[in-house]
Amino acid sequence: MRSDEEVLAELRGWVLGKARDLDETALTGRTPLFEERHLRSVHLPELLLLLERLTGAPIDVEDLRPGDFRDLDTIMARFHARERA
Amino acid sequence: MDAVRLDELARVGLMWRPTGEAALRGPLLRLAEDCDRAFTRLATGWDAREERHPATLPAERLQRVDYLRSFPHQATFAVGMDAAEANLDAFLSGEVVDGSGRVAVTELAPVRDVLTPAACYHLYRAHEGERLTGPLHLSTRNTCFRREREYVPLRRLRTFTMRELVCLGTRAETAAFLAAARARVDRFLELLDLPVRWETATDPFFQPQRNPKALLQRVQPAKHEMTYGDLAIGSANDHHDHFGEGFGIVREGVPAYSACVAFGVERWLYALTDRHGADPAAWPDVVDAAGKAVASTEARA
Repeated sequence: MRSDEEVLAELRGWVLGKARDLDETALTGRTPLFEERHLRSVHLPELLLLLERLTGAPIDVEDLRPGDFRDLDTIMARFHARERA
Repeated sequence: MDAVRLDELARVGLMWRPTGEAALRGPLLRLAEDCDRAFTRLATGWDAREERHPATLPAERLQRVDYLRSFPHQATFAVGMDAAEANLDAFLSGEVVDGSGRVAVTELAPVRDVLTPAACYHLYRAHEGERLTGPLHLSTRNTCFRREREYVPLRRLRTFTMRELVCLGTRAETAAFLAAARARVDRFLELLDLPVRWETATDPFFQPQRNPKALLQRVQPAKHEMTYGDLAIGSANDHHDHFGEGFGIVREGVPAYSACVAFGVERWLYALTDRHGADPAAWPDVVDAAGKAVASTEARA
């Protein structure tokens, strides 16, 4: 099991690789990722696969709820904390 | 819909074909026209420019927002015969239309056009490449075409009338438009005594589990339907910069955001006659109610 810091670092790196308009200092845990269009719909399938790899657990898209991918803090709480619980 | 209800509606002007087409005349046609006037009146104060567009859209333009990959199951195409005389001669020497009603086509011309699936698509195409200096409010009505598994009088049609009020602008401008439009619609519904809930919805994507746009709508709702019973009679839609980007419409140096409020006219006829009965004397004055809704929400603002 990866630590919180490792998962967050991988997620941040992935987001910064996709969101060309964001630099490291601008990306916080509360930066709205899709609402502010830093990420687009086309990135979602890859993000799901990344989360499945990082958490080691499958994600059923039927379980996805509004706000699940709002920002990095929410993603960590929703997907990584769930797997540690 | 039961036979009694269908008969009542026929007496006030519904001509229904089970293939999914509703024709209107008499009181029901007048109510449909009044509904459309009422929806237009709800845009009072925004200086919404009226536009009227044709029945078809070039598939190439529609594909800029990936329409056919998202909704291939609902698309209806405008199809014609290859105009070569030999081809048309071959067509005429055949059965032309067979016993089941199917046209015995020979060679078809290349399919390039889609019959309007939603009225507002035309607006983004019409304003393609524009640099907006302020929010742009538009209004349009069109006959829309969607293929469905089954058709129900006034509830689910193959061809239906859609009125849309649209705002193109910044994120803040489109959000303000949606909030104000929803408030007006709420007051309008109250005055009509039409019990409607706003429900979060997603567009009917083909294979939604595989479509990134459908996934995004699940986690970031963009569509809210005004639902009467189990029937969506309209919707408020936040497109973000989907159309601004697809059609190169710019506001403040970035792709414009857009939002629309859409009304399905025939479904409103269903809701109004279901709520108030099939006797035209009992129908509310929808145009007057729209005027009052605008006045009262402006007074509150």
